[in-house]
Amino acid sequence: MELKEFKKGNFLVINLIGRVDTSNYTELEKKIIEFIDGGEKEIVVNFSDLVYMSSSGLRVLLMALKKITAIGGKFHLCSLKENIMEIFEIAGFTSIFSIFNTIDEAAK
Amino acid sequence: MDLSNVKIMVVDDEVDLEPLIRQKFRHKIRNDEYNFVFAHNGLEALAKLIEHPDIGVILSDINMPEMDGLTLLLKLKELKNPSLKTVVVSAYGDMDNIRTAMNRGAFDFLTKPINFEDLEITINKTLEEIWQQRNAMKEHDQLISIQQDLSVAREIQQAILPKTFPPFPNRKDFDIYASMVAAKEVGGDFYDYFMIDNDRLGFVIGDVSGKGVPAAIFMAVSRTLIRATGVKGMPAGECLHYVNNLLCNESVSCMFVTVFYGIMNMKSGELEYTNAGHNPPYILSHDGSLIKLEATGNTILGCFEDHIYNTKKIQLNPNDDLFLFTDGVTEAFNKQGEIYTDERLEKLLLSVNNLPVNEIVNKIVNDVDQFAQGVPQSDDITMLNIKYFG
Repeated sequence: MELKEFKKGNFLVINLIGRVDTSNYTELEKKIIEFIDGGEKEIVVNFSDLVYMSSSGLRVLLMALKKITAIGGKFHLCSLKENIMEIFEIAGFTSIFSIFNTIDEAAK
Repeated sequence: MDLSNVKIMVVDDEVDLEPLIRQKFRHKIRNDEYNFVFAHNGLEALAKLIEHPDIGVILSDINMPEMDGLTLLLKLKELKNPSLKTVVVSAYGDMDNIRTAMNRGAFDFLTKPINFEDLEITINKTLEEIWQQRNAMKEHDQLISIQQDLSVAREIQQAILPKTFPPFPNRKDFDIYASMVAAKEVGGDFYDYFMIDNDRLGFVIGDVSGKGVPAAIFMAVSRTLIRATGVKGMPAGECLHYVNNLLCNESVSCMFVTVFYGIMNMKSGELEYTNAGHNPPYILSHDGSLIKLEATGNTILGCFEDHIYNTKKIQLNPNDDLFLFTDGVTEAFNKQGEIYTDERLEKLLLSVNNLPVNEIVNKIVNDVDQFAQGVPQSDDITMLNIKYFG
């Protein structure tokens, strides 16, 4: 997994690249907590270059969603590939997360 | 590791040595790079070791009153402390004593008169060696604790899963078989089944997000709550609603579990179920067709308090199989990084519906194994099959 972030207006866009699985989800967890504790209140996670996410990755996203919602911020996801969208659908997460087609829509 | 934590003890009966060393190394002492302790014979040195357990390097003279350097070396050897290194200081050309000292475990030697440049190199080299050894020991300890963590998690998981098949040998109206192949890092999969009354079988398959002991404990709690609630016989959705609210109090940093919970009525053939974010199970119909069980529109357990879990019902026919699995099956990876996929599972399931329960499960276990080509599992691979005879 690789992680690249950039600012787009008030939003911090996090590009997730590669795979998020049991071997590296703690890295993602640490980074996202760092961003939130560092004062980021509006985050977009861009999935366009992510090929796989395991349930441990989903847990990190849930935690981030709860943390940001608690401080009145926004946590948006965008550009989910079909196979990852399916994992979200099975887990019943499509109604819990705000999911957008593009970064532009997510960071509006 | 900070090397200034490692103290250097100088053992010599010459009282002039202490001020000389303090003068020569004054910068390093002031910068906290070297931290000296002084003793004047072997006995005093042993006493100082107790007083300063952080001593790592010992610079010892050989000829001293009370206890000489060679005897001190023997005593130090008895302490069996691998990160305690002794450098002996001997008269130039005193090869016999130097050889004896080395044989007794001295790390290095210096000759008198002391060349302070050489002394500094020797001290640094010895400190470096101690640093490496302590690091290796730390890593070793961490590894042991990780291994213990994993074996505790594995024990919890193994103790929970029922493994006697057939589980209800007197029942001719249904049969059950299950398999769980644990990943090295123990993913937290589980399955369970129990009779609610004479007609109804409650059954569950689940997957906890996370690994190790916390996931294993969360799994044990989930399984116990579902069983204790399930045997009361309330509708499937109500049961998970109750369990979810209890788990929300237990969940640390959003640990969650995906669960499929079903109740099969062996008298009427009715199956009622609710699906909390788990992979949908399949019905392998007696006529050879395959039905994916419709979702109930619900999400995982352990995160959203008061979420309402819906119950759906479907009618089974005699000789239908219900096949439940975790994502360790469909998300198994091979060497090329490809995943097993639902499609491959479905294709195989279409060809096995007339087989006994254990053969159905074992066929799929073997196919996933063949597909993975020896790539280590990243997740537990778990399946549960229930055949309804009617």
